[in-house]
Amino acid sequence: MAKPKISSDWLAACAGCHMSLLDIDERIVEIADLVDIRATPITDLKEPDESGVDVGILSGAVNLSNHEEVAERMRKRSKLLVAFGDCAVFGGVPAQRNLCGLQAALRRAYIETESTDESGQIPGDEELGIPTEVRALEEVVDVDFFLPGCPPDADTIYYVLAELANGRIPNLAGDRLQWH
Amino acid sequence: MVHVTIDGQTLEVPHGTTVLEASKSAGIHIPTLCHFEHLLPYGGCRLCMVEVEGARVLQPSCTLPVFNDMVVRTNTPQIKEAREFILTMLFSERNHFCMYCQVSGGDCELQNAALDEGMDHWPIPPIWEPYPVDASHPYFVLDHNRCILCRRCIRACGELVGNYTLGSAERGAETMVVADNGVPLGESTCIRCGTCISVCPTGALINRQSAYRGRIVDADHTKSICVGCSVGCGIELVTRDNQLLEINGDWDAPANTGLLCELGRFTPIYEERQRLTSPLVRKDGQLKTATWGEALSLIAAQFKPLADQNGVGLAALASTRLSAESLALFKELFVDRLHAGTVASVEEYFTSSAELDRENPDLVGSVEDIKQSDCVFVFGADLYQSHQVAGFFIKRNLPDKTKLIVIDPADNGMDQQALFTLKPKKGGDADLLLGLIAGINTLELSRNKNGYDLDEFTLARVSASTGIAEAEILNACRALGMAEKPVLIYGKGLTGSFTGDSAESIRLLIDLAEMTGAKMISPRGRANSLAAEAYGLANRFSPGGRHAVFVALGDDRISQRQIQLLEEAPFLAVQASYASQLTAMADVVLPVKNWTEQDGHYLNMEGRLQQTHKALLAPEGIRSNVEVLTEIADVLGYKLQTSWETALTPYTISSPALA
Repeated sequence: MAKPKISSDWLAACAGCHMSLLDIDERIVEIADLVDIRATPITDLKEPDESGVDVGILSGAVNLSNHEEVAERMRKRSKLLVAFGDCAVFGGVPAQRNLCGLQAALRRAYIETESTDESGQIPGDEELGIPTEVRALEEVVDVDFFLPGCPPDADTIYYVLAELANGRIPNLAGDRLQWH
Repeated sequence: MVHVTIDGQTLEVPHGTTVLEASKSAGIHIPTLCHFEHLLPYGGCRLCMVEVEGARVLQPSCTLPVFNDMVVRTNTPQIKEAREFILTMLFSERNHFCMYCQVSGGDCELQNAALDEGMDHWPIPPIWEPYPVDASHPYFVLDHNRCILCRRCIRACGELVGNYTLGSAERGAETMVVADNGVPLGESTCIRCGTCISVCPTGALINRQSAYRGRIVDADHTKSICVGCSVGCGIELVTRDNQLLEINGDWDAPANTGLLCELGRFTPIYEERQRLTSPLVRKDGQLKTATWGEALSLIAAQFKPLADQNGVGLAALASTRLSAESLALFKELFVDRLHAGTVASVEEYFTSSAELDRENPDLVGSVEDIKQSDCVFVFGADLYQSHQVAGFFIKRNLPDKTKLIVIDPADNGMDQQALFTLKPKKGGDADLLLGLIAGINTLELSRNKNGYDLDEFTLARVSASTGIAEAEILNACRALGMAEKPVLIYGKGLTGSFTGDSAESIRLLIDLAEMTGAKMISPRGRANSLAAEAYGLANRFSPGGRHAVFVALGDDRISQRQIQLLEEAPFLAVQASYASQLTAMADVVLPVKNWTEQDGHYLNMEGRLQQTHKALLAPEGIRSNVEVLTEIADVLGYKLQTSWETALTPYTISSPALA
């Protein structure tokens, strides 16, 4: 029986969730024994296998068109999709952009900052992703499991990975369920 | 009694009990948000919904009174779904960023409610409509993005404090908590008591000093007593790592039932004075650091010869922020042993009926009497300026539950809200009291046969001498005479109270109280002002011409007038916590702990004996007030033996709350 495959990526994120994941320290060896860690943003493989993975894990909010593509691809290729961390679950810190509006944010960032001269302009290269309204992951794709926290703490992440590795749906109860 | 069944449990509860209260008494927990134990039930958030057999829809348990044979279920699948829905609606309505909010992770009742329901995401995303942040107030910030419109702040500002600064504007999704007609909080009629921030269930009201200094729920909590004034409010000092984060009212404390004023809640947190950390001795015209031994020997050298001359050359002044233990030692040392020429508290002379109250205990009023009173007379005290919590208990009963009559020659903050405000010419209090007595008699409202043989002619005379129309005097008398539970409050504004001549006025007040069945209470002055009176320290302070002066200041401040009196003192020794103009003038300065760093007893204005409890560790090298007074006595060769309780016992009310 092949080991379950896990693939992970991040969207509009600070990488804190993945750092917290690394905080499981030596237990990562145990996880690696139980599962086949495929793509992550911090290892060699960057995309989930075309043949599909068992668990897809996404952190970060959706605030660019390419995030939508990444999310849809991860959803398509994963049997179970996990929204990892408050940004993926709630929209999180990046969602503050919705309060001032995209245009105001872009103008402030690229034109109006004190250290920008008159040549400042909002990037419009066609290769760039198009900024969108900031959304939680499940506003874009169906999410099977939510792991809130900013970041979720390492022990909880380890518990979730271990449960998923053993083919069980984790149960976040008591101290494991937190939003901060 | 009413018979109800809740989740299969049967119980009997008094008529008028709400379903929420009944459930609580049965040990059944129903989640709530807008509900607050010390506020009237509101029924706004709908989180407490329950199933009532026979009712068409779910009912809010916080406002629903029980009826006989009621059958309630508190935890059905329909209810759980309803709760999650309400919480989902709340999160979607405004902008909740748990990631960086100062109450996230334990102090947020909204987050806790969601976690209790096992919510791991928001089924409906927010609409991201931005809300304003009001940062105009000196002590807190109001972030409307986090407000769930529970109205606890609005209700507290009105029901508990009687200030009614906060209200709500607009309707539905546009509803906003506003100050006055919609002005920034910092420009409003807010009196900065902070009651609103103490009841806010979310992070909307942000305490500027304590935010982001760790969760309040995880900090150290020490119950104590505020020593800002003689109300003696019960407080909770919230500390972490020997830092004071915030001060909250103790909702269980009898004197204040959770309320605090600016002086109690915020002023101590914003302490800016420089802390004294070592003894100082004046050498070559300048204050220099010295050892305790040096400083104490110098004091002994100055005081000893004066003691032998029967102490006439010695003067001593004590702050009434000091504990009873300290004041008792101070009194024994300077009065009984050194026979100092003048020994007083910083409040100096204030006659009160304390001595006289003891002759007629029925007259002695309490803060509870103020709360229950239907007619409050205030003579020469401004309870909107000082002793504010006592003022809250009057304010919140206006205008329907109590009549407020203010008698003060000076401008009084309570004038505007008073039913009647009488402004006798300065010095006319005693006469006016005579007029009130005459008026009560004239209206035949006296409850006793008093010895006053006054006729209407006296009313005319009083009216002429005080400048107050007869009709006004009679209006006040009518209100007082017809009241069921009147209370007479008198303060330092009562003429003669400062010079010691107010005995006549006090006597008349007592007569008036006896005639009308009123209770009497005086806020007096600072925390231990009643204890100071009990120890015989309510005297005029006259240091002029004395050779040495000792000031037991503690963490207090003295007035400019008192500083001027001390400028010419040939030798001045001060025990204080903070540097000030006074310590800068002194020849010896002894650093002492402040009120948060020592235990001590305080007798509040009701005669309630309470205790401060140490919550913080003083810096190294600083001693307690008790230690310092004991050591001064030591170097002078005295062993102080006073038991501080003895003198206070006659003034102390016995109360089950003291246990």
